[in-house]
Amino acid sequence: MTVILEALRYLGYVLVFPGFLFCFLAGMLLCGIDRKLVAKMQKRVGPPILQPFYDFFKLCGKETIVPAAAERISFMLAPLLGLAALVVIQLFIPVFSFTAFYGMADIIVILYLLLIPAISIIMGGAASGSPYAGVGLSREMVTIISCELPLVLVLLAVAKTVGSAMGTGLCFSLSDIAEYQEINGSLITRISMLPAAAAMLLVIPGETGSHPFDTAEAETEICEGLLAEYSGAALGVFKLSHAVKMLTLSSLFAALFLGGLGTGILVLDALLLFLLCAGITAVSISLVHAVTARLKIEQIFKFYWTVVSLPALLSLVLAWYGL
Amino acid sequence: MFKKLIEESTGRSPWLFHINAGSCNGCDIELVSVLTPRYDAERLGFKLAGSPRHADIVVVTGPVTKQSLPRVLRTISQVPEPRCIVTMGSCPQSGNVFRGSYSVAGPLSKYVPVDVDVAGCAPKPEAVIDGLALAAKILKEKRGRMK
Ligand code: SF4
Repeated sequence: MTVILEALRYLGYVLVFPGFLFCFLAGMLLCGIDRKLVAKMQKRVGPPILQPFYDFFKLCGKETIVPAAAERISFMLAPLLGLAALVVIQLFIPVFSFTAFYGMADIIVILYLLLIPAISIIMGGAASGSPYAGVGLSREMVTIISCELPLVLVLLAVAKTVGSAMGTGLCFSLSDIAEYQEINGSLITRISMLPAAAAMLLVIPGETGSHPFDTAEAETEICEGLLAEYSGAALGVFKLSHAVKMLTLSSLFAALFLGGLGTGILVLDALLLFLLCAGITAVSISLVHAVTARLKIEQIFKFYWTVVSLPALLSLVLAWYGL
Repeated sequence: MFKKLIEESTGRSPWLFHINAGSCNGCDIELVSVLTPRYDAERLGFKLAGSPRHADIVVVTGPVTKQSLPRVLRTISQVPEPRCIVTMGSCPQSGNVFRGSYSVAGPLSKYVPVDVDVAGCAPKPEAVIDGLALAAKILKEKRGRMK
């Protein structure tokens, strides 16, 4: 009996909260808020907040064309793979004091899982056989490599800060990080963590592939690049993945730097997390989108390995000396 | 219920793909102005798609020259169903000032069924938005008739 109940509970985690349903609703809403905010910053009325939902359902009702040159199976499986990986990450990220799958995964696993959506989109693009996707593919790879270094540095800085307080050297467990912040207050209040938080805010748009780091999907020059051949429901799932990725990365930011704000009541915590995510998205995705123009791929690489990596490194050094 | 949802969404999220079939560029610029902050067609869900596979509404400008005709037809056939075809400006409807030229193969309606014509040389942004909104309505009806 208890086994069945336990299984049902985990099923609930996977399907409802913080799994598929929550990811779908919250991710799409975040995406809608982002589009509205960008429009407001450009003095436009902008699309309704529910626009991403309309887009998604419309795409579900469209014909899905598989090009003759495409590798059918990987072409159709790629979007699902990416989405599944993102939902799994969401299961491991603590919602303040609550973690769906406690103690099973740490930052390193999340780092690996974060690569899967990017790899799935590369796989789908490569399977579509379009030359535009070929260009997008190489650009996407460079973008991943660019973002990886600052992201790892940020994670190391956090791990060192928490680890030295706990006396374990480096602490990679997200639940431990959440617990530490529960007791000692959010990490963002420490001066040594401020540069890392700023770096993380700049990593988010790069990882999600939003403006100005969207060279891989540049619609005006390479016809949406990797997505050029996708249509119908498959494209809808990629759009959904993009929305969920915003949620995942902003809630990762909240888990790393804004922990310890929770109330202990799950519903309130979920709501609070969503509000924090909306705030993080507004600063790191919408604002950056509205004030910049698309960069070239080599500029992205340079930007991430210097301007973004340096503050992250500074944080790491400060954390190493126990500040 | 799901079908209703899809139908409703189809009318609210029409993505555009623009084909220049030998236009003088006047209409092309006017189409872009529809998406600027002043007219902001995005509030109705319109978005310029980069690939014909993503599009719902195909906007054709220009008198459809002999050179561009096969490309126009090929691009239109790559757009997944349901789709709408909108001609913009007088050129694709009648040939306009290019009528009778040895290089013009138009009007477009000789080759594909056109859903909405927006006349003018070049049409005002208000007229374009009106035409596109009408196309979105037709798109929704087409989706309703599918399956
Ligand atoms: S309708 Fe007028 S403005 Fe438009 S393409 Fe033709 S000539 Fe140019």
